[in-house]
Amino acid sequence: MLAFRAYSWFLSRRLGLTLLTLWGLASLVFLMIKLMPGDEAQMAAGADASAAQIEAVRERLGLDAPVIMQYLGFLGRLLRGDLGTSIVTLQPVLADLEKVLPSTLELVVIAMLLNLAVAIPAGIVAAYRQGGVFDTTSRITAVMLGGMPAFWLALVLQYVLGSVWRVVPISGQQGYGMNSPVVTGAPTLDALIAGNFAGFFDTLHHIVLPAAVLAALFATQIFRTLRAALLGVLRSDFIMAVRAKGATARHMLVRHALPNSLNPVLTLSGAQAGAMIGSAVLVETVFARQGIGAYMFNAVAQKDAFAVLGSVMFIGTVVCLVNLIVDILQLLVDPRIRAAQLGSQGQ
Amino acid sequence: MTAPAIAQPATARRKEGFSTFEIFVFTLVIALLTIAVFGPFLAPDSIYNSDIANSLMPPSATNWFGTDDQGRDVFWRLIVGAQTTLLSAFLVVTLYSLIGVTLATVAAAGPRWLDEGLMRITDIGLALPGMIVALGFAAAMGASLRSAIIAMAITGWPITARMLRGIMRQTMEQPFVAGAQVLGVSKWRLMTKHVLPNSLDVLIVKWAGDIGTTVLVLASLSFIGVGAQPPSAEWGATIAAARGYVSTAWWTVVAPGAAVAITSIAFGLLGDIIQVRRDPSLRGN
Repeated sequence: MLAFRAYSWFLSRRLGLTLLTLWGLASLVFLMIKLMPGDEAQMAAGADASAAQIEAVRERLGLDAPVIMQYLGFLGRLLRGDLGTSIVTLQPVLADLEKVLPSTLELVVIAMLLNLAVAIPAGIVAAYRQGGVFDTTSRITAVMLGGMPAFWLALVLQYVLGSVWRVVPISGQQGYGMNSPVVTGAPTLDALIAGNFAGFFDTLHHIVLPAAVLAALFATQIFRTLRAALLGVLRSDFIMAVRAKGATARHMLVRHALPNSLNPVLTLSGAQAGAMIGSAVLVETVFARQGIGAYMFNAVAQKDAFAVLGSVMFIGTVVCLVNLIVDILQLLVDPRIRAAQLGSQGQ
Repeated sequence: MTAPAIAQPATARRKEGFSTFEIFVFTLVIALLTIAVFGPFLAPDSIYNSDIANSLMPPSATNWFGTDDQGRDVFWRLIVGAQTTLLSAFLVVTLYSLIGVTLATVAAAGPRWLDEGLMRITDIGLALPGMIVALGFAAAMGASLRSAIIAMAITGWPITARMLRGIMRQTMEQPFVAGAQVLGVSKWRLMTKHVLPNSLDVLIVKWAGDIGTTVLVLASLSFIGVGAQPPSAEWGATIAAARGYVSTAWWTVVAPGAAVAITSIAFGLLGDIIQVRRDPSLRGN
């Protein structure tokens, strides 16, 4: 009973923060619209709209009303899922973005798996052999990767691995004639659903480099955090006791040291999941992949202001929701976070 | 009255002097700053004009890093771009630090409801993807370097505000603050002359690392197209402009990206060094 109350209290507080954040985001986007130079109705209607069309848009958006009414109208349209209309695709921005969201999520999920699969073992080895050759080289690599612009790393690797060595496709998400019927919108999943295994491996072949570039940025943070946490744990008394009872290095690291160092890594990777969606804009465009980032990039290039701001609203919302889901998952998975979050209820 | 000589522990005394690595990082940062300040005065005028006959020439003795699609020298454009890039980054960090300091001071000094309100706004800022919101602001104000700088300044402050407010609250618990209060110091004077100066340590530590990250974000915004516009020599814009030539003239893309990476890494390492010097317990991490 008490646990249930603690859970519901945590959930309502966390949901409250999410709603507050979304409201803040919506207000910022409204501010952006108001900051745009020129006539808003003209911008929303497109450069070659007739005077009558512009007046119709002005009417529909209520642009003759006082700003506060416009703000309320804007919030109302957002609640109904109206993020504005693209002057390039002539489609509602939300419909455009929903179509490409699965593609971005696929990229982020694979990048996150790569990120953890590389950074966690590297962090363990580096901390266990502190000051050794592997530790030194991986730390230097992490510093260098962390300072590189993602889009530049993508361009260089695309050139070297795609054009010069030809080990991966240069761009796109699947080879010619490899496409499967669209069910989810995520190419790898669609290929699996269609039972098209050649197509599945083809999509994986296309996604490995973009995902690796996206993962590289975030893996340096996981690596540094895990290494620092492990170094602290490895110095503690209970590790000495574990060693004294004759445990193997592997047992000591995996069963004792690692579980006690994963907390900051879990928290960080949760925050990264959201941040990766934002960074996808830099990677998707270089590799000509579909996705919300690429959509936004094209909207910027075509001066499609409402599509850009609709994308800001959409990506911000997705990031907030991903953060919310990750926080709830962490609460369910990690007893320590659970204790800390639910325990604070008594105060 | 002289203070009695206190024996310093050996570790504290060994702190004097710099390691080779530290000297290397300092040299790198000073070199970058020197280039940024004096570079544009040294650059030949020819880099501002196109010379199509000499476009996309590979690196040579006359053009160390080759030439770009307009036949301009890549090396000298990097030197000129250093000023744009570093000056913008300094401006961004200064502006958002000022916003952060102001909000933190008001939150720490103000009544509880104001503190609560400001910290919830900070929560919102921390929860949103900073680069995406900055991109939105820059695009809305009209894509330009100025827009990007303003956009990054108005989205960059939350971490500073949150950290500084925490530190200021701790400083306010110190006995000397109570002492000043007893002496009847006004709230304004208490905050600006006593609490704030004793809390700014955290910003000094953060400063260099922030420059490193800002250089990266600025280059990213320019690459996306909402920051500096061609023909600006800003590094991100240079990469964006050269993007189509990567397979025929790799040096036009590799050089400006390497410049961003070196600058970002150098300032990041400087930040780490300052942090370890302030808190030697972090050494080795």
